[in-house]
Amino acid sequence: MATLELNRIVKAFGPVDVLHGISLTIESGRFVSLLGPSGCGKTTLLRIIAGLEGLTRGSLTIDGREVTHVPPEDRDIAMMFQSYALLPHMSVRENVRFPLRMRKRGSRAEQEERVRVVLETVQLAHLADRMPRQLSGGQQQRVALARAIVSDPKILLLDEPLSNLDARLREDMQVELIELHRRLGLTTVFVTHDQEEALSLSDTVVLMNGGRIEQVGGPQDIYASPRTGFASEFLGSANLIAAEVKDGSDGKRAHFASGASVAVPAATPTSKTAQLILRQEDLLLLPPEAAADETFMASVVTRVFLGARIRYVLRVGDLRIKCLAPGTDFYAPGETVAVRVRDGRAQVIDG
Amino acid sequence: MMRDRLEDFALASPGLLLIGLGFLFPIAEMVRLSVVGPDGGFTTLHYTRFLTDAYYLGIVWRTVYLSLLITAICAAVGFPLAYVMARVSPRLRLWLVVLIILPLMTSVVVRTFGWMVLLGRGGLVPSTLWKLGFVGRNFSMMQTEAAIVIGMVQVLLPFTTLSILGVVMKIDRRLEEAARTMGASFMGTLRTVVLPLAMPGILAGSLLAFTLSVSSFVTPSLLGGVRLPVVAASIYDAATKTLEWNFAAAQSVILLVGVLLVLTPYIKLSGRRNG
Repeated sequence: MATLELNRIVKAFGPVDVLHGISLTIESGRFVSLLGPSGCGKTTLLRIIAGLEGLTRGSLTIDGREVTHVPPEDRDIAMMFQSYALLPHMSVRENVRFPLRMRKRGSRAEQEERVRVVLETVQLAHLADRMPRQLSGGQQQRVALARAIVSDPKILLLDEPLSNLDARLREDMQVELIELHRRLGLTTVFVTHDQEEALSLSDTVVLMNGGRIEQVGGPQDIYASPRTGFASEFLGSANLIAAEVKDGSDGKRAHFASGASVAVPAATPTSKTAQLILRQEDLLLLPPEAAADETFMASVVTRVFLGARIRYVLRVGDLRIKCLAPGTDFYAPGETVAVRVRDGRAQVIDG
Repeated sequence: MMRDRLEDFALASPGLLLIGLGFLFPIAEMVRLSVVGPDGGFTTLHYTRFLTDAYYLGIVWRTVYLSLLITAICAAVGFPLAYVMARVSPRLRLWLVVLIILPLMTSVVVRTFGWMVLLGRGGLVPSTLWKLGFVGRNFSMMQTEAAIVIGMVQVLLPFTTLSILGVVMKIDRRLEEAARTMGASFMGTLRTVVLPLAMPGILAGSLLAFTLSVSSFVTPSLLGGVRLPVVAASIYDAATKTLEWNFAAAQSVILLVGVLLVLTPYIKLSGRRNG
């Protein structure tokens, strides 16, 4: 368990900068996810923390000790790879003992005992003598996890460890990771491109884009109040609409798509070039006769039935917006609907 | 179905014919010759002569231990070389492969004469050693076992290196990275991860080096000279100088059986691995 500090980390591959000065402090015991689209530099940053990648400028410290130029084996970290990277020529038991063997932790008997305990934690004790290729994907993943926590590292690094699992197994593993983190309290850095995974697993989300940190915050926080257009679109794929904020008789309103408008918080500054953020799930579809002051009219373009929800694409003027409605709200393509935004959920950022 | 099989056979027949005529037939003839006595009848005389004479046993021993030494050096040099080649950029790797294959492009005789120039009295290697003070006088390294080993290693290193390279290229680089994050140093990773996973390539390459070096003739003869004969040279002498064809055939059979004995456990081993 340890604090991790990143100081203005710059990474260049040849003439191309992939990280433009990342500064971040991760408190001891936190579960932090680095979230962003592919190519945003999140994996490179994780590899820099691990010591697998050198950095061009900047520094990093683990537990107060500067480790910028320390090789990976001396950083006292553990990393779980997307491909699991189990050593194919060693049994499950030998794989899990490997970090203890390399770090010379205790006698052979003590190591064996520790391996036994950890394998029981991940419910794999009965497969200890199998070879990795004899295991299913989910089991291999547990071995990788056991191997990562066995040496009680200062920092646990996870590189999209769940992305190779099928949907159900992934949900199970998410719960398991949360419980494991609660029990062990390891400082954990988790890389993912899946925003739901980031929001559900971590207590801090670091949203990255184009080699920069876009926003840092708790999951609810960063979801509820995105500071940039990118943040709003990436988290919950909100509609981002060019709008004009004006004072009206009934408070501030954002006008868009020639005619439509929604109420926005009173603190919003008036602006001709604002960006209106409308989350898909904050849009309620009503029959056209329910039209009122706070609604705007739209027509249904497509409807995708998802089970619990229905995704609609609506047209407002010449604008297309997406909407996630409850699975019981049925409107046919071509129908006109009245759209109401949940109270206080319309947000505006500078365009 | 029948037609297909017939066509398959037709396609394979030129190759099979060549193997039959150029390999199986001479071998059968060699085996027959090796047991024909001076009177034309069956005899094991040639075998007992070879296997009971200390002179010939000495030749066998020299051949075997020089081959083992050459093989070991090829593997020991080839593995790190192959590892570096596998981990550099594709462009640089291509150049290294070209560099390694280059010696194979010249005739073995030309290459060996090159070594004679370098190793002979006043040659580059002995005179450098002398000038640096490692040896007391200028001397010739020709007609020594060291010369045979040096010459053979150069010939066989490409075979070993390329066999190992093929296997190391297939080792997932992330396994090494994983080992590093688990506390293994660079050398520790080589030892605990890369070396065991490269073993099939090292075995195949060593086998190739051993079989080629145990039956090699030109390089040992030119660099070792008549004082240090190997089995292949002894066969050559019997066949061309003393004209004892039957004795030469017997020695050839012994060499062939020896190589097969080394090959068999390996084939069984790799068969199990694949199966």
